[in-house]
Amino acid sequence: MSQPARTASSVTPSRLGVRAAARPAARPGRRRDLTALCVVSVLLILAMEVASRFVPPFIMPSPLVVGQAVLELLTSDWHHVSVTLLRLGAAVGFSMLVGVLIGLLMGTSRRLGPYLNSLVIIDTGIPALSWMLVAVFWFKDPEARIFFILTVILLPFYALNVYEGVRSMPKEWVDMMESFRPSRWQLMRYLVIPHIVQYVFMTTKSVIGYAIRMVIFAELVASAVGVGSRMSLAQSTFRIDYVLAWTFLLVVLNLVLQSLLNLAERHVLKWRAEAKVR
Amino acid sequence: MNPTANSTANATTTAQGDAFIEMRDVSKHFGDFLAVDQLSMTVRRGEIVALLGRTGAGKSTVMSLSMGTIAPDQGTVQVGGVDPSREFDALRGKMAVAFQTDRLLPWRTAVENAELGLLILNRSKAEAREAALHWLARVKLEGAEHKYVHELSGGMRQRVSLARALAVDPELIFLDEVFSQLDHVTSQVLRRDFSRIVREVGKTCVFVTHRIEDALDIADRIYVLDAPARVCLALSVSEQTRRDPRALADLHDQIAQAIGGDTESADHDPNYSENQDLS
Ligand SMILES: Nc1ncnc2c1ncn2[C@@H]1O[C@H](COP(=O)(O)OP(=O)(O)O)[C@@H](O)[C@H]1O
Ligand SMILES: [Mg+2]
Repeated sequence: MSQPARTASSVTPSRLGVRAAARPAARPGRRRDLTALCVVSVLLILAMEVASRFVPPFIMPSPLVVGQAVLELLTSDWHHVSVTLLRLGAAVGFSMLVGVLIGLLMGTSRRLGPYLNSLVIIDTGIPALSWMLVAVFWFKDPEARIFFILTVILLPFYALNVYEGVRSMPKEWVDMMESFRPSRWQLMRYLVIPHIVQYVFMTTKSVIGYAIRMVIFAELVASAVGVGSRMSLAQSTFRIDYVLAWTFLLVVLNLVLQSLLNLAERHVLKWRAEAKVR
Repeated sequence: MNPTANSTANATTTAQGDAFIEMRDVSKHFGDFLAVDQLSMTVRRGEIVALLGRTGAGKSTVMSLSMGTIAPDQGTVQVGGVDPSREFDALRGKMAVAFQTDRLLPWRTAVENAELGLLILNRSKAEAREAALHWLARVKLEGAEHKYVHELSGGMRQRVSLARALAVDPELIFLDEVFSQLDHVTSQVLRRDFSRIVREVGKTCVFVTHRIEDALDIADRIYVLDAPARVCLALSVSEQTRRDPRALADLHDQIAQAIGGDTESADHDPNYSENQDLS
């Protein structure tokens, strides 16, 4: 049970006391995760090093060479990285906003809900590749193409998860709210929206890796600027060290974004009791 | 020799004085299932009235009917002179409920939960906060105001839920099995605290329970309900009776008989306490 001792908590009424008591339990698990990550990374690098001794450098360069390439890219190609990040941020932000709105409508509007639901379900069945190809026909501007591709791919995740969140809301809470006779907006503001925040976090955490892969892919198809296009250039100029260096940077980017999200989540959802399942 | 016992145990089925809730021959079906059967009852202003009956008798349904969250199939329901389900918003701010489970919102702290009703009634933030803090203190929760729900014990949560109901300063307060899930000691302490507060502020209160002792402990009058809900016994409990163990025992037996069978049949469930919050 994660409940802090009652006596202790009634003596220290400050929020600090309570959070300090709740935290240490979570720490060792996180440290173990970090250790495992380091061990696996080192093993992978060692494997690359060993492999590089036996095959020509255009098949597998030494990790040292790749490391050099990483440094080079970070100084020369910073512009491309920031463009990719901006595209990612804009598309994820927009999909989140509109997806949440659609999800809320799906869950709360008896008339519109079923129609939006079918639309989203159909959308989830359309392969990402179809959208990429179609986007090339529909949009001239590369930014519009990439934004469109990412949005149509990411939006349904938000819509469906938020919809699920609204549906999983206990009826008891709605009855409790209704006993005060709230307006529709108050019901949203005090009950529904706070309740779905956790679903938005969950969705973002689960799509962010996918979104990075998609933005790279979309850039490869549709743009001359950005990490995706640079990777395509590296491939066509036979620079496997650059390809691997970009790959490494993208993996790191995913890790960084995931941990930022975890941090934000822990802060925003601090009201949740951390469940420990053994 | 006890002259008070007889005179206070009179059935009082007719309305006198200022009726606040007035139900006349109310029936309610859920599909084919009859939940309330031609029920008539009256609650006057300033009274604490207990609705007593077995689990499934339809007590919560009667409460929802008076709340106006459901409408009757037959009969009339009047609360404060209006039909609560048709004129839903007319009673805005005049009623509050505390439920069997605390129904606190986990992302809000104790005080944020307690002020919820006031915020819905569009009071200012400062006013809502002040009232919420005041009521948390009245239910003896000083020091726990800023804790989240998962940091509170079952009894503390129920106190917050009482504060949330009392904070809107309602004319009428419904308690649906508020104390039933708590262990006996906590339940009794909380019940005493609550009835003291309700009498102090002179609220009208409808108290739903399946425990005979709970009803005898705080109610001015008791409606005993059969299943499907209809009044099978109505009686009043005076302060004198409450202090007289023999008279209380009499009433207890009388009610137990009306409910049917022995005392324990009223679904006494002391182990059904806080183990539902595994979350
Ligand atoms: N919304 C509903 N739909 C169908 N049946 C219901 C509904 N609410 C209550 N009931 C049924 O009505 C009966 C009375 O329920 P309830 O009023 O909750 O009883 P109590 O509060 O006395 O335990 C029960 O048999 C219950 O199953
Ligand atoms: Mg009930």
